[in-house]
Amino acid sequence: MPRRRVFNPLTELLAAALLVVLVLVVNTWQFSLAVLVVVVVPGVLLSGKPRQIALAIAVAAGPLLISSFLLHGLFFPEGTTVLAEWGPARVTAEGLQFAALTGLRLAVFTGVLLTAALTVSIPELVSTLTHRGWNRRLVFVVGSAVGLLPHVAERARQITRAQQARGLVVGGSLPSRVRGLLMVSVPLVTGLLIDAAERTQLLESRGFSSPGPRTSYLPDTDTAGQRTARWLMAAGVLGFGCAWYAVGAGR
Amino acid sequence: MSSPLTLPATKAARPRTALVAVGAALIAATYLYLVLVQPAEIAEGIGGTSSLITLFGFLGGGALLVAGILPSLSTSSLVLMPLGIALNIAIGQTAGSLGLQIYLDAIGTVLVAVLAGPAAGAATGALSNAIWGLFNPLALPFAAGAALIGLLAGTAARYGMFRRVYLAPVAGLVVGAVGGLVAAPVAAFMFGAAGTVGTNALVAAFRAVGDSLLVAATKQGLTSDTLDKLVVFTLVALLAYALPRRSRAQFPFLRRYGVLAGRTGSATGR
Repeated sequence: MPRRRVFNPLTELLAAALLVVLVLVVNTWQFSLAVLVVVVVPGVLLSGKPRQIALAIAVAAGPLLISSFLLHGLFFPEGTTVLAEWGPARVTAEGLQFAALTGLRLAVFTGVLLTAALTVSIPELVSTLTHRGWNRRLVFVVGSAVGLLPHVAERARQITRAQQARGLVVGGSLPSRVRGLLMVSVPLVTGLLIDAAERTQLLESRGFSSPGPRTSYLPDTDTAGQRTARWLMAAGVLGFGCAWYAVGAGR
Repeated sequence: MSSPLTLPATKAARPRTALVAVGAALIAATYLYLVLVQPAEIAEGIGGTSSLITLFGFLGGGALLVAGILPSLSTSSLVLMPLGIALNIAIGQTAGSLGLQIYLDAIGTVLVAVLAGPAAGAATGALSNAIWGLFNPLALPFAAGAALIGLLAGTAARYGMFRRVYLAPVAGLVVGAVGGLVAAPVAAFMFGAAGTVGTNALVAAFRAVGDSLLVAATKQGLTSDTLDKLVVFTLVALLAYALPRRSRAQFPFLRRYGVLAGRTGSATGR
């Protein structure tokens, strides 16, 4: 079930980014954990597609968390309180603490940004950027790249199947793997380049490079209130950050 | 390129040098600050300050670079950029999930740089990591490094490093060493040098010898990045030479600087 959208995508992305900045400014494991429990978990549950987002977060942050604990838990030369020792590997309290701090921050970083990004509707974001008068070249590159991604993956799959039907064997020795990679990537890139050439002509014939304002066919979902809110949020985080460092320096 | 169906193209197609210069200076200053000032702090836990500086310096610098470069690009370069970005993300995601010691997430950037020049390459690198950040936020802080890779790859192509297939890996080696140096503080200060399983084994090995985190991350970067860019540059050179003449003909950069030598006159084919 898709979530009913309340805010404009720009507002949501900015809020997520500012939250990450706040976590980095405060930089204690208590605050990171609080954000994780109070913001990220409810956010994922209320997003309308909790399973997909949870999976994405696990795939992005999971391996990093595990390897962070293995790395700093076992090898932390700066640590002094040794808890256990096997040959060159030493488990130190400082190492584990360091791993916990970094790990929590990482979890918040991925959790907040992924939840925001995966619930954002890209067409709405692109139309908002057009309405706000952002550089249309940037808007084109971003929108087009996001649209092209599934297409590239699908096309690579089709080419692999076609080459396998002609007798391509995936895997085996290194030379044969390299040959397999080339047999898939050359037709893939060539096809994409030919598409790009055609798209260039289509865009040019529709006045892509001519100056002047652009019309978006999607209505503007941004409001004056949200624009003000965005400025206020950014100013608030900036003010908080300055105050935090001023207090920290005074101590 | 102006089309008879549109108004004549306006002449304001110069790169905004000031923006590019400020962006590059911001990235360089961030890097110098991190390397010269911070290593003392890392022993007692990574400060949020250095993470913040990394994030703002590298992302802000990358954004300024893109803002300066974009207005100067031709439509054919612009259309090529999403293609490079999609290739980067699709291949990089696969390599990351396979647990390789190399990333392979710069194939699209280097391809765009070779076909359309250093400016397009730099913009592709920065935007690629910014967009990848929507699916995998951990790629976000590496945007400046990716821009540098694109810039250097395009420069190498401009000065003939792709005219011989055996020169491309050499260029890759050099670019990879520079890229590894720039990426190391990001890995160390943002993520405590944790990466994929493959790169982690390397960091652990250097840490076991007693290196500090930044030094271990730098050594790991130098190892993985040189190897990675060597493979990527070779692949892109093979790809570029395998492209049909018709697709290559649409890029003025290739013709003006003779990027791929020996293939402009007689069509020998493969």
